[in-house]
Amino acid sequence: MTSTAQELHPAPTLEPGRTILELKGLEKRYPGTHALKPIDLAFKASEIHAIVGENGAGKSTLIKLLTGVMPRTSGDVIWEGKPAALATPHEAMALGINAVHQEVVLCRHLTVAANMFLGEEDSRFGILQQRAMVREAQKIIDDLGFDLPAHVVLGDLTIGQQQLIAAARATVRGTKFLIFDEPTAYLTRKEADQLFTLIRRLKGEGVTIIYISHRMEEVFELADRVSVLRDGTLVGTRNIAETNDAELVKMMINRSIEQVYHKEHFTPGATLLEARNLSGKGFENVSMTVRAGEIVGLYGLIGAGRSEFVTTLYGRHRKSAGQILWEGKQVQVNSEHDAIKLGMALAPESRRDQGLCLNLPVGLNLNLPIYKRISSNLLISSAQEKAEADRQIANLRIKTPTRNALASSLSGGNQQKIVIGKWLAHGAKLFIFDEPTVGVDVGTKAEIYRLFSALLSNGAGIILISSYLPEVYELADTLHVFRRGKLVATHGFHTADHEEILTQALAEKQEKPGGQI
Amino acid sequence: MSTEAIPAERPKRNYNALFGLTLLALLVLLWVILSVATPSFASANNISNLLRQGSMIAILAVGQTFVIITGGIDLSVGAVVGFATVIVAMLINAGVPIYLAILITLLVGVAIGMFHGFGIVKMGLPPFIITLATLTSLRGIGLLMTNGNSISINNDAFQLFSRSSFLGVPNLFWMVILVGIPAYIFLHHSRWGRYLFSVGSNAEASRLSGVNVQRTIYMAYTLSGLCAAFVGVLLASRIGIGNPTQAEGWELQAIASSVIGGTSLFGAVGSVHGPLLGAFILATINNGANLLNVNAFWQRIITGVLIIVIVYFDGLRRRGK
Repeated sequence: MTSTAQELHPAPTLEPGRTILELKGLEKRYPGTHALKPIDLAFKASEIHAIVGENGAGKSTLIKLLTGVMPRTSGDVIWEGKPAALATPHEAMALGINAVHQEVVLCRHLTVAANMFLGEEDSRFGILQQRAMVREAQKIIDDLGFDLPAHVVLGDLTIGQQQLIAAARATVRGTKFLIFDEPTAYLTRKEADQLFTLIRRLKGEGVTIIYISHRMEEVFELADRVSVLRDGTLVGTRNIAETNDAELVKMMINRSIEQVYHKEHFTPGATLLEARNLSGKGFENVSMTVRAGEIVGLYGLIGAGRSEFVTTLYGRHRKSAGQILWEGKQVQVNSEHDAIKLGMALAPESRRDQGLCLNLPVGLNLNLPIYKRISSNLLISSAQEKAEADRQIANLRIKTPTRNALASSLSGGNQQKIVIGKWLAHGAKLFIFDEPTVGVDVGTKAEIYRLFSALLSNGAGIILISSYLPEVYELADTLHVFRRGKLVATHGFHTADHEEILTQALAEKQEKPGGQI
Repeated sequence: MSTEAIPAERPKRNYNALFGLTLLALLVLLWVILSVATPSFASANNISNLLRQGSMIAILAVGQTFVIITGGIDLSVGAVVGFATVIVAMLINAGVPIYLAILITLLVGVAIGMFHGFGIVKMGLPPFIITLATLTSLRGIGLLMTNGNSISINNDAFQLFSRSSFLGVPNLFWMVILVGIPAYIFLHHSRWGRYLFSVGSNAEASRLSGVNVQRTIYMAYTLSGLCAAFVGVLLASRIGIGNPTQAEGWELQAIASSVIGGTSLFGAVGSVHGPLLGAFILATINNGANLLNVNAFWQRIITGVLIIVIVYFDGLRRRGK
């Protein structure tokens, strides 16, 4: 920890191995959750430091604190030997801390070049030097080895290509400390390779890289050291050469798989739903059945067409071909309303965008599907409204001061319980859960899985979508693998191993280079 | 993760009530100050006048609030009022019975609201745009129909209504109660009211929960159009003419009343009592300023400042919680 005078020009010229950033007792509390328990961790200059952990382990909270998006609750951040407040994103950037997010946060309507220089445009007498910027941007892109034009509008590129541009943008800003948050989620293998080349090159230039990923193989391919987070705690840091897959997974989960994944097998009953050669936006020619008492798991990468498939079943989007059969009869599902009437319920993927009315009370959210039932003629029975809400809050153990608290004030896990809880009050025969445990802590996860069993024992069927293989692997009675909008494989409970399923979901060998997932 | 005892249900609803009480206190305070400051304010005549002035904006603001709660805006209400005066005047002069003339005018308001719903839901236009388009074209249609002239209504009974009182309270104010009570029940005690809030908060989540979002939006704009046409009838009765250029800028007063009454332009926050109080606060300020001989230009400035102050403090307290 040699403290040198702060450099005026922010070129990353630190000697390797020196500590660039140190966290001392860094902590973050949200109302209702302790997202990050005090953490001590030192990042060295010019290292690739992977951070792994389950959803909800505190990775994204850590990024938000380091990039100044959120203020920390307590603790210190030492940057190059000096305490840094990191109160605003601007301050973090001024120090040289940048992040490339999983979702591209750039302006889709501007050109690649305009995006690269956004905020520090080249202008002469107030006039933008557009051509010079395009030329400059093209030079940077070519230099990085990306085969992309700088003059096109960003939105015309694939998500993966946009991701590369976001990474390229971060490199031109005197970055010393660059955080990648699951950057390969949307990338093809070829794009991922380009990204890895870029990352190694940045490391060579002395930049510290924080690499957050779910994919173990990437961690072992890239990282020098790896830190494991679990439930907001730093479990440990290992040199990559001195650890292995099994140890990391054990550190991440710290409980046997059986403890988390509560699974009961029921004898499947009658067929509830059948999709015959169903096609629609984002998927084609998918056939499957769901029976009462079974969990049908849909596994695949993000964007593989699973969500589109179930939202089409649910009437949110129109099918373009194929048939839907409900309890043996062909049905037309033209709206969500039709689907609900048949007996389907959907807990959607994104709580924030699709699941909850965040600035409305918990009780209203829970009762939203059943207001018709608790109204007599024109008026809502307020006694029933209260009773229904309190019943779900108690049954699901939703941690909220009252049913009148706003949904936004609850933690992610408790919000997810509302999304699920509103359908329990309503009742359904087929429950569709799209990524039900994203951003949910392990305890709540286990509760949700127990709830699945309770639903199954009551004769319901479940479609479970998950991008987290262990989840579908341990829970699904039938596991369908999706890749690029197609159902590519089907397995029974534990009839294939992880590797086989992963390969089917990725299928890198057959993939055409440059394509989009 | 234990079941926590559920404490008394304090936070949200009481906040709304508290905000309502604060507004009411502000209104009373204004009345007390004005009664002391000017001899004529507390006179029966002036109070009646004040109630008449505030009533029409109050009814507009209620309809406007329904729309704003869904996250939309209805810029057309002033134009609808003016247009409705023309329709009702023409019908009455053509010899149509008064009740039928009123009914038809209200249906025209409903049709305009449905058109807004159609533009938003089916054509995908932003509410701001479709209602702005109606604002300008309705005025134009009205001018075409009247050739730019005012139509005098030759029916004394019709005009008498707005000038009369019942139990010492002007009829126009009774109309606020006539609209306000069903509106309150609709918004706070019916499921459609809940749906207005849920659509304003998150339309996609509402849709996936089985709420008919399109119908909800149609409903909000239809009610706003209906309120505006009703105000048009009242205005025609009060001034005795049909004129498409009447009620210029009333949409902004209605929006201001709604916002002063605690409605959030981002949607999902609002009440019925709020905009009613807001409308009468605005009416009181205008009335008081007239009595105090404050330059009319200043009244506009005061209104603007008031909007900023009230909404700012409301926002502070919401965030502070």
